[in-house]
Amino acid sequence: MSNSNAAMVEKYRNNFLKEVEANVEEGDWVKMCMQCGVCAGSCPLGNAWDHPPQEIFMMIRAGKREDVLTSDSMWMCTSCYNCIVRCPRELPITHIMHGLANYAHRLGIAPKMNPTRRFAKIFWDNVTKTGRANELKLSISLYFMDGIVAGIKQGLEMLPMGLDMLKTKRLDPMCLISHTGIKDTKGLHAMLKKAREIEDKRKGLAS
Amino acid sequence: MTDVVATNETILVVGGGISGMTAAIEAAECGKNIILLEKSPALGGRVSQLYKYFPKLCFPTCGLEINQRRMKANQRITVLTMAQVEKIEGETGNYNATVKIASRYVNENCTACGACSETVEAEIDNPFNYNMNKIKAAYLPHNMAHPQRYVIDPSIIGTADADKAKEACNYGAIDLDMQEETLNLNVGAIIWATGWKPYDAAKIQPYGYDRYDNVITSVEFERMMDKFGPTGGKLLRPSDGKEAKNIAFIQCAGSRDRNHLTHCSRICCMASLKQATYISEQYGEDAEDAKATIYYIDIRAIDRFEDFFKMVRDKKTVEFVKSKVANIVENQENGNPILHGVNTEGYHRYANEHDLVVLAIGMEPNANIGEVTSGVSTDASGFIQVHEDNGGIFGAGCASNALDVNRAVQNSTASALRAIQVVNKVSGAEA
Amino acid sequence: MADEKKLAAYICKGCGLGDRLDTPQLMTIAEREGKCQVVKEHDFLCSAEGVAMIRADIESDGVTHVAICACSRRAKVEAFNFNNVAVSRGNLREGVIWSQPDTEERREVTQEMADDYVRMACAEIKAMRVPEPNPNHGSNKRILIVGGGISGMTAALESAKAGYEVLLVEKTGVLGGWAAKLYKRVPDVEPFDGPVDTGIDALIDVVNGNSKISVHLNSTLSRTSGAPGQFSVDISQESGATITENIGAIIQASGSEVFDATKLDNLGYGKSPDVIDQVQLEELAKAANGGAIKRPSDGKEVTSVAFVQCAGQRNPFDDNMLDYCSGHCCNTAMKQAMYFKDANPEVDTNILYHDLRTPGNGEDFYRSAQQKGVTFTKGFVKDVVVNGSLNVNFKDAILDEVTSMEADLVVLATGQVPNSGVDIEAAAAPVEDEKGDEQTVAAKEEGVSVLNLTYRQGKDLPHLSHGFADSHFICFPYESRRTGIYPCGPVRRPMDISQAIEDATGAALKAIQAVENAELGRAAHPRSGDLSFPSFRKEGCTQCKRCTVECPFGAIDEDEERYPQFNEGRCRRCGTCMGACPVRVISFDNYSVETVGSQLKAVDVPDEFEEKPRVLVLACENDAYPALDMAGMNRREYSAFVRVIPVRCLGSVNTIWVSDAMNSGYDAVLLMGCKRGDEYQCHFVKGSEIAHTRMSKIGDTLEQLNLEAERVQTFEIAITDVDRVPQLIDEAVKMVDEIGMSPFKF
Repeated sequence: MSNSNAAMVEKYRNNFLKEVEANVEEGDWVKMCMQCGVCAGSCPLGNAWDHPPQEIFMMIRAGKREDVLTSDSMWMCTSCYNCIVRCPRELPITHIMHGLANYAHRLGIAPKMNPTRRFAKIFWDNVTKTGRANELKLSISLYFMDGIVAGIKQGLEMLPMGLDMLKTKRLDPMCLISHTGIKDTKGLHAMLKKAREIEDKRKGLAS
Repeated sequence: MTDVVATNETILVVGGGISGMTAAIEAAECGKNIILLEKSPALGGRVSQLYKYFPKLCFPTCGLEINQRRMKANQRITVLTMAQVEKIEGETGNYNATVKIASRYVNENCTACGACSETVEAEIDNPFNYNMNKIKAAYLPHNMAHPQRYVIDPSIIGTADADKAKEACNYGAIDLDMQEETLNLNVGAIIWATGWKPYDAAKIQPYGYDRYDNVITSVEFERMMDKFGPTGGKLLRPSDGKEAKNIAFIQCAGSRDRNHLTHCSRICCMASLKQATYISEQYGEDAEDAKATIYYIDIRAIDRFEDFFKMVRDKKTVEFVKSKVANIVENQENGNPILHGVNTEGYHRYANEHDLVVLAIGMEPNANIGEVTSGVSTDASGFIQVHEDNGGIFGAGCASNALDVNRAVQNSTASALRAIQVVNKVSGAEA
Repeated sequence: MADEKKLAAYICKGCGLGDRLDTPQLMTIAEREGKCQVVKEHDFLCSAEGVAMIRADIESDGVTHVAICACSRRAKVEAFNFNNVAVSRGNLREGVIWSQPDTEERREVTQEMADDYVRMACAEIKAMRVPEPNPNHGSNKRILIVGGGISGMTAALESAKAGYEVLLVEKTGVLGGWAAKLYKRVPDVEPFDGPVDTGIDALIDVVNGNSKISVHLNSTLSRTSGAPGQFSVDISQESGATITENIGAIIQASGSEVFDATKLDNLGYGKSPDVIDQVQLEELAKAANGGAIKRPSDGKEVTSVAFVQCAGQRNPFDDNMLDYCSGHCCNTAMKQAMYFKDANPEVDTNILYHDLRTPGNGEDFYRSAQQKGVTFTKGFVKDVVVNGSLNVNFKDAILDEVTSMEADLVVLATGQVPNSGVDIEAAAAPVEDEKGDEQTVAAKEEGVSVLNLTYRQGKDLPHLSHGFADSHFICFPYESRRTGIYPCGPVRRPMDISQAIEDATGAALKAIQAVENAELGRAAHPRSGDLSFPSFRKEGCTQCKRCTVECPFGAIDEDEERYPQFNEGRCRRCGTCMGACPVRVISFDNYSVETVGSQLKAVDVPDEFEEKPRVLVLACENDAYPALDMAGMNRREYSAFVRVIPVRCLGSVNTIWVSDAMNSGYDAVLLMGCKRGDEYQCHFVKGSEIAHTRMSKIGDTLEQLNLEAERVQTFEIAITDVDRVPQLIDEAVKMVDEIGMSPFKF
């Protein structure tokens, strides 16, 4: 358990709902759910969820902190927005799911091996490094995230598509060597740092 | 010309459904003079289109018969059909209502013999059956229609059909030159009992009411059970006319939903429970293949209605799923709607195929009082609220709240008294 | 009046009657057999001209009794509405030409049908008298209200606002009832964002300050007698004094009690002072007055509270619990949770519910509660364990697990129990008094009467299900079975304040209507405006008391000599007493054993060799007769051998009509009434049921006559049985065909 996680548990004890309200993006909305389940049924990836959104909301109210934050359910959200459109209480469910995932990640208790989380992390690192996404490096990092053998295997599988993309000029092999980022990367990093500080302060996560 | 006597001791009741009729009769039986307006050609309103009432499973026409008999016998009530209020001016105890009366093209000579209808060939959509079938363009609105007088649809005016109808009538009852009339009525108090309308089901996009034949509304389902309805009293589904046996009921179709109606429409749970009994009535209690599945958020069988809920719950043919259905797709091969969603009691995902889907459609007030006068207080949903600023104008029945029949009658009786208080003050009877 | 009778018959030739029927023959029948002094035909009788012709005969020619032989009595009612004359309707249109095919072979039997209906219409007016208002009517217009809670006070104030004097009787020393015990109430107008002031103090002031309302506190009714417009009541005061008052109508707003929570020891009630019901929570909230609510046990500020919904309610499996839902408790729990949240948002409030029932704008209130942080759990509470702390054990329906919740305070939503007085039907049932404990049960059921009616049928309003004093009509919620006495508020059905206010206002109208009707000596619903009333020949009465027992409205008492005393103002004119009377001494001016008996005897019954059976149908005018009408309108054909007589209610059918019919050579008699039993559709509540019981015993009579039992059949008919009624008629004719014609033809 990371330090920040231990602090949170101490602070709220059984009142996980209040913790979510204070710390999770749009977490204020969780209490408005009336358990109709339309979000759960509307999710195109619903089958992949251990706990659909409405159940997660109930778990939050029931104080099932560990189960929720270590769950990989909210990492399944693909932002299709079906649930938001249909929710009779107008809960921004998509945002709450991302908010929960982000919060769990920040606390360091998100499922380590969850592919969505890992992709998100790789993407974030990739894009924040130069201020622009390096697609080739991103793909390579993704292929090799489970080790060299798996990376080579997946790389070979995708080879024909890669060659096709090369032919149609959809892939620039030079990216591997020289990727053009934004002019002021330093400024970007400073901005991100400041933003993180502000958010941490607001959520009481600053150490 | 319509000859109506009204004074500021007269009560104007707008709307001839169960609420308006109740308000009119109850006040008249207290000795008050009433003018009752109805915009359609016959009284009875939405309840006359119901097959049965919950929780007694009795027939609405039974009460309608009594009310109409009370009304026919009471010389204090003047009924004006095809009439709508255009404008209300004035103040408590002294209102002036401008009323437009549309042309019926049939006068009081009509004996309801039906000769006009026999000869006319043109057909129109039948509003009594929610346009699910056709009727002749010269028609009696329904079996219990009061006044028992035919109507010529304006669409055939100027055609040979209309001339044939006129010729067929031996009693000079058909007047093809009948003009729209405007009346100015001086009244003391007004009861606004304009009822409700079903929420527009097509707006609930994921349920595909406008795309799938076999997704219908609860009000349409009622008409199917009527022997004189569009399917002759059989539960035949629209796509192929096959008997619908495995029927889904979707609760809160439009209600309790910030995208549609924010209020709970109150009647829909009980209506679906009632309609679930239609299935066992039609196919027998033990029918293997006949089944009602009710998809719900909360079953609002409030107060004594709990008994009815229990009775329905105990039926073998009825199943409950706590779930707001997410969406419906159609099985292309057989036209069956497939319902997708999650049973939230323990998280069970389903894709259930049914023969027919009935949307327990929400209740939208038909009040529109703001269009004819200002200053009457309505809530966010458009229902008329009890408010002192309303003066001598009182909402009654479903124009004032989402109510079942029993409560609508209760509320209309209360509104009748409030109107009586106003006219008694005018006449000095109060002193 | 009877001596000055002048009978007239009018035969209409419109709507095809003139084409299908031999109207000159009908006129001859009306004149020769019907003994009408005036007989006329008209091409279009309901026209202004036709009606003017009849009116002229009444006004200038002294016609007092009019037989209209045209369409059904349900058609053209307004046109043929003549004051101060007796009118009968021969149904030649819906009942004859519209139900018979226009074929050559049916022409003769169709004409015979019409002939008979003309004979019947003439025979009926001959036996009718023109009803005059009851001379014994009362004209007191004061309204008595029993109960000074929100329902009673609303009824009082609304009646007074309409100009009526009001007497309000309250058994406690204060006005206000349950509403006065509330800290705040659920809102009934926008915005629905939190608890609002009850307004009860202001209402009490207005009631006390209204010159038309006189309030009697610490008072109960020790005697109620009379009828609408002329009730007499004894008001007993706590001091022991009794005053007698005359009043016109009564509104029973006797309210409800809270369910006895000591029955809920599994939920911890009685085991810990911190397990309370919703009423007790209101006390705590009142004491806190917007500050932190403290728990009873140690005065500690409550930091967590669990609301257990449906406590002892919605439970049909345990006789000690309530079967029903009390309707208000979901909103009440939300309101109470908001008390905590408004004082301190940090307090945990959890509502454990089965189905959250917040209809209408209650949904807005629900959202407001959630907005304030009240949490909701669909859960079924198993028990509350008191063990230092309070542990609520429940099954979480959504998470599908048995779990537990700890709380400082547990609030049980226990529901309303109607204060409806004595269950007169249970009290009337024979009590086994051999065992001591059974007597105890009976005594308990006896309860304390609210009205103390001197009525022969019992002291209070009849109860419906679960002890509520309700009518069971959906369309007519106020029509109790005691004319002029209207229950309102939670004594009638479970309800919240908003509904009670509406209900009380409606009940006030009904009370006003009752006194206005009483003054004119006319009937209330469903035969509104009917001036006829039952009268009886005392000389013939055998004091059998059947009329007093069977009257569905408890209108008939016994006088000192043990003869029936009719209390006409309480009568609803169904005629059940007339049907009950074995010696046929009860009658109405326009409806009697004779008006129906002479109709059925007027029918020309062919001899058995003609092979034309006759089937008599006695049809309830409210449902079976309209169904037959609609069969005609839709051209549903049925046998021409049937003759139909409408009756006010099947309860009014006297068995003499059946035996007369049999003796006159009818081959079968069909009695068509409304649905009976718990879900009755009879507009006179018990009429159809009584008729069915009565007719079940007619087998003996038939046996004496050596007739088959199936010749007399009783049916429950709904108004929608448009296809079924013709079928039943045809089946009866077929049955006669099989078992043979009646031997009683002459």
